[in-house]
Amino acid sequence: MILDQLILPWLLAWLMAGLGAYLVAVLDRLMASGSAQVGSVWLAPLASAAWLMTQQATTTEAPDAPAWRLAPALYLALAAIGLALVPWSPTLVGVDLSTSLVLWGSLEALATVVIFLHGWSANSHLALIGAYRYVALGLSYLLISMFVLIGVALPAESLRLTEVVAAQASLWHVVSQPLGLPLFLVVGLGLTFWGPLNLADSADLSGGTAVERSGPPRLVWALARAAMLVAFSAIAATAFLGGWMGPWLPGPAWLLIKSLAVLVVLLWLGRRLPRLAPERCLTLMWVVLLPLSFVDLIWAGAVALWMA
Amino acid sequence: MALLTLSFILLVTLGLGLLLQWLPARGSLKPTYPQRAPFLGGGSPDTHAWNRYHIRYYPMTLLLIAFEMEMMFMYPWAVVFIEKGTMAVMEMGMFLAILSVGIVYAWREGVFRWQ
Repeated sequence: MILDQLILPWLLAWLMAGLGAYLVAVLDRLMASGSAQVGSVWLAPLASAAWLMTQQATTTEAPDAPAWRLAPALYLALAAIGLALVPWSPTLVGVDLSTSLVLWGSLEALATVVIFLHGWSANSHLALIGAYRYVALGLSYLLISMFVLIGVALPAESLRLTEVVAAQASLWHVVSQPLGLPLFLVVGLGLTFWGPLNLADSADLSGGTAVERSGPPRLVWALARAAMLVAFSAIAATAFLGGWMGPWLPGPAWLLIKSLAVLVVLLWLGRRLPRLAPERCLTLMWVVLLPLSFVDLIWAGAVALWMA
Repeated sequence: MALLTLSFILLVTLGLGLLLQWLPARGSLKPTYPQRAPFLGGGSPDTHAWNRYHIRYYPMTLLLIAFEMEMMFMYPWAVVFIEKGTMAVMEMGMFLAILSVGIVYAWREGVFRWQ
């Protein structure tokens, strides 16, 4: 019992986090076409990780040291918990919680706290501005995420992710709730402050919350961010792309393929879209995307009643 | 058991994150004080960063609280939605409509502008 209910979910989460983060680094380099590639795409992430491990970890004059250490580790832990929730097949589920959708929502909310903590605890102006910007974004995407995920829970009559997948047996939610996945992808970019929604660690703040970060803590921060992107991709594949369902191949293989597809789309969007101006972000989220998520919920409810 | 597993994953991953930061740096000297000055694009800081700061979007954070409370009702609502049918649609529709009026009012008041 210990083996399959404690060790297996843990190993699954760590395996996904580790391999996924590496894959994120490789894919992101592959997509950065046009810029000169130095060295092997496959070895470069490992080399830069090893380099960061040997670098000095600088500090600021008066940081909140415990919180500063805690923030990257906590972000990584949130990603690992998210990965543990993913159902790989009807029987192979890390943690089959009856409220896994609610837990995922709380992970998104806690991510905002952790990212703010990372920027705040450095006691550096640019890092703090990045943190404040992120809170504006984090509090805005939260509602969109919740409405979209509630829409997924309606046809399943459950907040359990395995039952959300089972409810997609006849039709995947990406088809029956066409607004859901695009809106959820915006949430994913926000959750990991990736690409167009990189308000926390943006280049115009010379790295934002990570401006004072060097050496091993910087590596953990980057690892956590990539792992969170992987966790999000897996949850999106579960909620909208039918999770483990598919012909010929076994369930886990389908989930891997679908998660990879979502990951590639996110990374591609990250490379192709320009960064959103922070002052426009608020208006876009609340005035355009939030009403769209209302529409998505109403649509999901109508379809669920019609198909029931 | 699920709670135990989640707590276990939380703890071991937290431990890994802290260990990865601590292990390589143990025993090494702390950076010198000139090196510890926060980065300000060449300038030197006169104050702590933890100062009074006007976050321009704070009315939005108040509006969020109203919606977050609403989410609490929505989770159980989602589970019984099909069972209750049209009644559930009507109830949540009314609730959302009232909140939407709030959004429209807040928009008119410029809450969603970074002013």
